[in-house]
Amino acid sequence: MSRTADINIKDNHIGETIGQFLKKILESDEVAAVLTPHRPAEKDMIMPRFITDPEHLQGAEPLSPAFAVNSARLVSRLTRQSPGGTIAALLRPCEIRAFVELVKLNQGSTENLIIIGTDCPGALQNADFFAFAEKHGDKATARFLETAFSDDQASAEDLQIAPACRACTQPTPEGADLAIGLFGLQPGPKIQVYAQTERGEVLLEKLGLEEAQADEKHQSAAEDLISRRSQARQEMIEQTRAATDTMEKLADYFSRCINCYNCRTACPVCYCRECVFATDVFDHEPVQYMKWAGRRGSVKMPTDTLFFHLTRMAHISTACVGCGQCANVCPSNIPLAELFISVAEQTQSAFSYQAGKSIDEQPPLAVFQEDEFQEIVGIENGS
Amino acid sequence: MVVGGGVSGMRAALDLAETGYHVTLIEEKSHIGGVVSQLDHQFPTDGCGICKMLPHADAEHVLQQCVRRGLSHENIIIHLQTRVMSVSGEHGNFTVTLQQHPNPVDPDRCIGCGLCIPVCPVDVADPFNAGKVACKAIGPPTPHMAAGPYRIDTETCTQCGKCRDVCPTDAIRLPAEDRKSFTILVVDDEQIIRDSLSEWLGEEGGFSVITAESGEKALERIEEQPVDLMLADIKMPGMDGITLLEKALEIQEQMAVMMITAYATVDTAVSAMKQGAADYLVKPFDPDDLLPKIAAMYHELTIPPGPEIRVGAIVIAGGTDEYNPASGKNPFGYKIIEDVVTGPEFERMLSPVGPTGGRLVRLSDQRPLRRIAWVMCVGSRDIQAEADYCSGVCCMYSLKQARLAQKAAREQGAEIETVLYYMDMRTFGKSGQQYRDAAEAEGAVCKRSRVHSIVGEETTGDLCIRAADPSGQINEDRYDLAVLATGQRPSAKVAELAEMLGIELDPRGFINTREFSLTRTSGNGVLAAGSCTGRKDISDAIICGSSAAFHASRLLHAGGGSLREQPAPPETTADIFHEPPRVFTAVCGCSGAVSGIFDPEAFSGKCYGDPSLCSVETADWLCTEEGIAELTENIRQSVANRVVIGACRPLCAPEKKKAIARAVSLLPELIEIVDLRSRVPAASEESPEQQKTDTRETMNIWLEMAISRVKLADPAFAPEISTGRSVLVVGGGIAGMTAALGVADHGYGAYLVEKADRLGGNLNWLNQTIEGDDIAQLSEYTRSRVENHPMITIYTNTRVSETRGTGGAFTTTLQTGNEAGFSVNHGAVILATGGGQAETESFGRGTDSRIITQQELESRIRENDLDPEKINSMCMILCAGTRQPPKNYCSRICCASALKHALHVKEKNPEAGVYVLYRDMMAYGFLEAWFTRARKAGVIFIAYTPETSPEVSAQQDAVRIRATEPVLQQEVEISADLLVLATGIEPAECGSLARSFGADTDEHGFFREAEPKWQPVGSLAPGVYACGIGLRPASIAESVASAEAAAQQAVILLGRDHLPAPKSIARVRHSLCSLCQNCIAACAYGARTYDRQAQMIIVDPEACRGCGACASACPNFAAYVEGFAPGQMLSILEAAADN
Repeated sequence: MSRTADINIKDNHIGETIGQFLKKILESDEVAAVLTPHRPAEKDMIMPRFITDPEHLQGAEPLSPAFAVNSARLVSRLTRQSPGGTIAALLRPCEIRAFVELVKLNQGSTENLIIIGTDCPGALQNADFFAFAEKHGDKATARFLETAFSDDQASAEDLQIAPACRACTQPTPEGADLAIGLFGLQPGPKIQVYAQTERGEVLLEKLGLEEAQADEKHQSAAEDLISRRSQARQEMIEQTRAATDTMEKLADYFSRCINCYNCRTACPVCYCRECVFATDVFDHEPVQYMKWAGRRGSVKMPTDTLFFHLTRMAHISTACVGCGQCANVCPSNIPLAELFISVAEQTQSAFSYQAGKSIDEQPPLAVFQEDEFQEIVGIENGS
Repeated sequence: MVVGGGVSGMRAALDLAETGYHVTLIEEKSHIGGVVSQLDHQFPTDGCGICKMLPHADAEHVLQQCVRRGLSHENIIIHLQTRVMSVSGEHGNFTVTLQQHPNPVDPDRCIGCGLCIPVCPVDVADPFNAGKVACKAIGPPTPHMAAGPYRIDTETCTQCGKCRDVCPTDAIRLPAEDRKSFTILVVDDEQIIRDSLSEWLGEEGGFSVITAESGEKALERIEEQPVDLMLADIKMPGMDGITLLEKALEIQEQMAVMMITAYATVDTAVSAMKQGAADYLVKPFDPDDLLPKIAAMYHELTIPPGPEIRVGAIVIAGGTDEYNPASGKNPFGYKIIEDVVTGPEFERMLSPVGPTGGRLVRLSDQRPLRRIAWVMCVGSRDIQAEADYCSGVCCMYSLKQARLAQKAAREQGAEIETVLYYMDMRTFGKSGQQYRDAAEAEGAVCKRSRVHSIVGEETTGDLCIRAADPSGQINEDRYDLAVLATGQRPSAKVAELAEMLGIELDPRGFINTREFSLTRTSGNGVLAAGSCTGRKDISDAIICGSSAAFHASRLLHAGGGSLREQPAPPETTADIFHEPPRVFTAVCGCSGAVSGIFDPEAFSGKCYGDPSLCSVETADWLCTEEGIAELTENIRQSVANRVVIGACRPLCAPEKKKAIARAVSLLPELIEIVDLRSRVPAASEESPEQQKTDTRETMNIWLEMAISRVKLADPAFAPEISTGRSVLVVGGGIAGMTAALGVADHGYGAYLVEKADRLGGNLNWLNQTIEGDDIAQLSEYTRSRVENHPMITIYTNTRVSETRGTGGAFTTTLQTGNEAGFSVNHGAVILATGGGQAETESFGRGTDSRIITQQELESRIRENDLDPEKINSMCMILCAGTRQPPKNYCSRICCASALKHALHVKEKNPEAGVYVLYRDMMAYGFLEAWFTRARKAGVIFIAYTPETSPEVSAQQDAVRIRATEPVLQQEVEISADLLVLATGIEPAECGSLARSFGADTDEHGFFREAEPKWQPVGSLAPGVYACGIGLRPASIAESVASAEAAAQQAVILLGRDHLPAPKSIARVRHSLCSLCQNCIAACAYGARTYDRQAQMIIVDPEACRGCGACASACPNFAAYVEGFAPGQMLSILEAAADN
């Protein structure tokens, strides 16, 4: 059994308690900096902050209702070469999964990194968060957590968490060095920290927290949540499929796209240094538009929208972790998360692969198996 | 000159062409590829891989396509349907007169449209499909060449002219044959024979026929008038045919004579050929066979000789003939029962383009095949059939066919029984044993039995095979089909050529090679490659092809290489790097076939004034020199810097494209030639207008695609690679020494590294070969040549400690003893790390001094430390520890050395008991004769299987061996003075060495070839070759051949010191690259590496094969293949899809 510790909640304030825990870590010799969601005083936006001075942890919002950016990309930028000290990053489960994918694509490294993951009840989409923050002011986060972990399922589900979160079946921080357990413990007087790796064990030991028994309620509450989410996910996938099962419907689905490429920018696993859609490959000559229009009488502008999304799907559906950031940033409100999650589910199950699950598992396109998809590639075994 | 276009001949031709020599490749048939062109599947991969023999670097010189469709190399001239008429001169300067059968179809004009096939009235049994399918006298020579050019079988063609009338490109020129002036004299005492021959030859064949009823009368006729061909019966009252032959030739020396014979006097007819008869005909005649035979003779006699060529060396790669079971004493029902076929015939039945379309059904009644039997050694290993030799490849191809049949049945969800009746399963190739194990696991049943007869049952059509098992018991089994694994026979045509060249044949009729060589014949400058020295499998044929090329190349080099083709001065092409693309588009009207459909103005209109399209024109007669000259002149006059030509298939050949490129001073990459002619379908009755519109659309699409391609093609010049001038050879055994000499004799430096204190390797303990060739002498001779060669530097007691660099430019650190290391620069490396005898712990080895190995026995014989007189009883156990996991391979040489030693003892002391316990005697090829001789000498052979493995106990008085004797089916006990174990070969540990050069070893520690069949001495890493027994188990001669092949590959690499690197290689756009390294994982050739210091992905242009896997793994085209730039590809797809 891995090392477990109890953390008693101070003043009924979970966020602050976790903040204190981070401070303790930063003050230890083990860690040089902490990355955590943070809310500047008197401001309404919660964004990640990279902190070396423990005093600056004041304002940390480790369980933020807002999810403005998937931090996996930020962590990859911090770790792709040695940053000169160990970084502790507080991440949501989907951020950890995205980071694992980036590590496999050689965009980041776990070498100087301690990942602290939290159970994640979900987050609000940007637009919903602004309304929520407006309504609740300073109490927004507390209010959010209260509802999210409420025993009253109905009121928890009233909270308009993002569609991607509603369909998320991996809400616990697998792959983190230290996991902070909330499910089944909240509301309540304590939370638990579990060391999930050797590095986590060492750190937890050094912090001098007393060892405790893992609370069984945590595991069973997580399983309950996952099974409810799985059902929601299946429904979402079926609805999405029905809405996109012909080429025509698919074109309609994307018809509002303005080629702003926000989804690409927000996507944590879209890792190209420069997107092919921004290169000369799509720098069509004017006569090309004339040819397109000339052959059918007209052509929808801007062009290459469907092509862009299909290309992105081809590139990232093996690595998509379902974080929903694509939908979060879409100015045209295209339900991108639903579609990308549905497609990714199919692609990944075809390769028996789960994005972000294990750092040791090679991405499907980096592995060649002769007997794979014989009916598609037309190569039979041994020939 | 290379005679024979099978794989060995092609390999020799390609190697010589790549070395820089001009090669004339002549082939009797109307297509190249030899036997292999008829095989759709080759073990061990069971796919076709013939294209893998094509050279990669400098790929633009070779038409990169399916080799079964043809071969094209700018240094190779191929003459099909051609034979050698005469040879004069000597090595370094031969003059050869060829005779080229005219092909009435002009290959430059035939577009493969197929219109001529349905109108041809002649049905012939298709020789490509082993005569199992009918085809027409005109058509593609093989199904793979459906796109043309076609050929006409002039022996059966009736010259009716129908094909000429329908040919849309005027490609057919039927020869004006003057058969009336060709006089045939028929001499036979039987009126009916004279009459029927007169009728067939005169009325159907069109010849002038005169007859005579006796020898005397015939001579009178010959006195009266000139006779071109005489057909003479052997048995006639009065003067017999043989006497007539002699006298007739005295009168008319030039006359051709064919003997007519009954089956009983075939032997006489054969001996008549020695007295000047050209051939013989067996009565009764079948006019369908007779007429083509006479027509062939007519052509041979009347086709004028030519061309005459001058060559420096001659490589004979004429192959072997196939044994015809019907001619033998036991035909096993062949040609009597339809469902008895030969191995090559069954090979066609497995082919999708074969007689059954690849379905496993019987030829006789189309019933699905459920039980198939293979009968091995038909016409091989058979003294009655005068074949005291093994044919080498039949065991493996039968196993392969059984596997393929099993696979086909599995796909149909059916069960099939596949039974192989064999004597010894000779799986002596490197992966042969594993292949057999896999075949058996998949359901092939190997039965050690001798087939006595095959009888067809009238009602069911089933075949009943009677066979005797080792104990002599006769069993009967029923099958749907029997496949006879027919053996090799020496080729009569090769023998004819050998006589012309004055080179020796062996007593069996195959070409004799010198000792320790597989390719050097008794004639200087005349090499033999492939099966003409005894049948070879593909990898051996390829090695022999390279070895023959090596000797030819060395000879030409020694002679100053005067015939070596001087590289053409670099072509001056316009520098258009900074110009916007301007495409000149020309479409050939193709005598109205295209011009009636294609509309240049409408096409320009469709392109909406694309500014890069500078001209769209029609042209005429691009199939002629004048047409091309006019077109190129027009292009020169224009401002164009790119060209697209719509024409027909012959114009698409790479050499034509290159010629046009030279004429207009553009890089060939900037010119695209599209075959539009074949897009024109046969005229339709129904809606000609609609069809015309559709065809026009199709043409437009193809043209637009081509325009898109050239428009965005990169006008930059190809990069160059420079290579080192020397080769590192690791290992100083016979293979290493041979390789070093081979490289050095070509004027390149060789560093020969040996870890021991002297050169020689295994030669240092070997005594002599089974043939009696003196190994010590070979060792001395080779060593002194190596030591005295000015281009070879020898390092003994030396190891390779590390290496850097890549093919073309390696830097390797060597360390002698404990001294400090030093480095050498070299362009290529040849690993000849060899191996030694494996050790075993089985069979009491190590427990008793009387239990020794073959190597110890050989050494004792060499040191005169063994007195055969004193041996009462000697026992040998073969395959001690080999041919089963973990050493699951055959070591190939142990059976021969066991036979050698058994004979040595038995012949010196006939009283001694000599027992050989074996699993399968791998007395492959001509070794079989020694097996026969050993049995005759009284050596007792006892077969065992891994299940009935012998038990050994060493006792005071003797070593006792208990084994089960399969003939008696009893346990026997042998008391031996000496037990000799054949423990096989174990390769020296060279895994890390191979890996340091980017190559690898296989699970048994042998070097891993780039392709076990088609590139048997190369690795996937460029510039890294291997030879000798570190590559695979081999005899001395086989090791020498592989060393010569490896040396030649290295010479080819070094010879390309300043030639352009292939252009179609992958590149990296560093500004776009995220360094995710997906491309490295995707590259199967190890051509991509990550340079950590520069933080860049690097592509090795020599290793890259331009396959594009990296480009598809890269999400943003930071990886792409030159010539397939993403924008260019998208634009081509756009043109293809958006019409």
